[in-house]
Amino acid sequence: MHIVERTPALYAQRITRLYKTSGRGVSEVSLEIQPGEVFGLLGPNGSGKSTLLRVLSTAIAPDSGTFRVANADGLKEKQEAREKMGLMVDRPTHYGDLSGWANAYFFARAYGVEEGKVDGVLAELFDYFGLAEYKDDKVKTYSYGMGKKLALIETMAHRPELLLLDEPSLGLDYTSQLAYQKKIRELARAGVAILVASNQVDEVEALCNQVAFLHEGRLIARGPPEALISSLRDLRRIVARLRNPIEYALLEETSGVELVVPEGQYLVVHCVERPGIIADVVAGIIRGGGDIVSLSVERPNLEDVYVKLTGEALHDDEA
Amino acid sequence: MMRLNPPDAYWKKDVILFFSKRFALFIKMLYPVALIVPVAASDIPAQYGAAVIGIVAVMAGTFGAGESLTVDLNDGILVRVALTPLSPRRIVFEILAVNAFLDFVQLLPALLIVYVLHPAPLVWVLASTFGVLATLVTANCIGVFIANFTSSPADVLLYATVILAPLIYLSGFFRNTNPTGLLAALRGFVPFAYMNDALEAVFGLDVQSAPYEVFVYPSIIAAVLVFGICLTAARLLSPRL
Repeated sequence: MHIVERTPALYAQRITRLYKTSGRGVSEVSLEIQPGEVFGLLGPNGSGKSTLLRVLSTAIAPDSGTFRVANADGLKEKQEAREKMGLMVDRPTHYGDLSGWANAYFFARAYGVEEGKVDGVLAELFDYFGLAEYKDDKVKTYSYGMGKKLALIETMAHRPELLLLDEPSLGLDYTSQLAYQKKIRELARAGVAILVASNQVDEVEALCNQVAFLHEGRLIARGPPEALISSLRDLRRIVARLRNPIEYALLEETSGVELVVPEGQYLVVHCVERPGIIADVVAGIIRGGGDIVSLSVERPNLEDVYVKLTGEALHDDEA
Repeated sequence: MMRLNPPDAYWKKDVILFFSKRFALFIKMLYPVALIVPVAASDIPAQYGAAVIGIVAVMAGTFGAGESLTVDLNDGILVRVALTPLSPRRIVFEILAVNAFLDFVQLLPALLIVYVLHPAPLVWVLASTFGVLATLVTANCIGVFIANFTSSPADVLLYATVILAPLIYLSGFFRNTNPTGLLAALRGFVPFAYMNDALEAVFGLDVQSAPYEVFVYPSIIAAVLVFGICLTAARLLSPRL
């Protein structure tokens, strides 16, 4: 049998980058993304997602470790690596006094899109993301979501081999999120490798073939989303929407309850599968003074995998 | 014919931004005239007339480059540009070149009025015009250098003062007008000094420099500075963490 070895679109080996001031960053992170693969990087704020993207985008050098973008060495051949990459940072910035079109044109040309092709490529993307009508408006008049869409256009216009996207859909309206996800799937089918750093669990589950969890700068697990979630087949996830915050220590003492995670107005209760568990959880919430607005029992998701692995929530506790 | 808008190069982007805001453009073009022309038209001693033009050029170059770069770096947009395949040194070179040119465009009307008010031999008119341009390149180099260490426009003001004060002294704008020894030697390395000599010649004074010196020495010094500043590009354009 003839086996064809493909060059990974991204190959990172033992990347370490710690900030001197805080000691935070990433440690010994290795990952590989094949062409056509959508790779999700999940982790809460401060877990090291943005630091890893900064290193992989060549913005900062790692303390140790190496990486390659297609065939280009990310440390020694930065310009070549940048040519192959499309980068969207978590808070995209633009030249506010230039039009959206002028911004996108400038970046497309900076990435080497030929003068004869750039108008056609940009027109298609502006149309796709619903910005055609606003292309001549100054970017300072754009909403946050429009700025994100413009950043996506700038990221994709030069048809990179690897996309690095940091919180790409945060701030996009529902329609734009669907358009963005459709485009990501389309690009993946065309062989583009995509790294999505996010803590939008639904989006990562829907888009990614591979997922990795970052916790305190370290990669703690990776695999296909279904495989990671199926490891929790004995787990129930009860989500209660409460009218008021409660003291949930008592609830954690309920037999079968493994973990209680407050998420804004919601209380997510991880518990084992056993008869009567739902009634016991409801009783525990009420005993704690909780006023339940709604309650649902859901299948576990990637967030639950993260909670199981670390004992911590992916999102900040806003309760 | 070359098209500026939409921009396909960093310098074109800056040119578009310079001309895009009409009111700001009006102010930018007006303030050198408002500062320089009344002085040039008055019977103030020639030395001070020349010094005012020199100070305006030095300040416009240094603060303009330093502040706009600091703002763009803090905003993150310049780091984003630096992550494209464009060479960081090329980006910094374009920043220097276009800023110096645009500063020159701002000062040119005021300079032309000075030449009308103080008719001088053509060679000194050309020398002083070139001296102002070399000063603007130098001042922009200082502004870009300062931006390596600043986190706000207020920092630019502070650091620029620290660097410019001794250079202005050495150049003989107000003091050190007839330097000897070490001060004279050091003066020879400051492009502002040659501009000052040329402007004083325009205002009718006898000066230390010959016209050719105003073309040759500042060119060499500014070229060395530009080269040196371009070497700092990777650091300048790295993320502020």
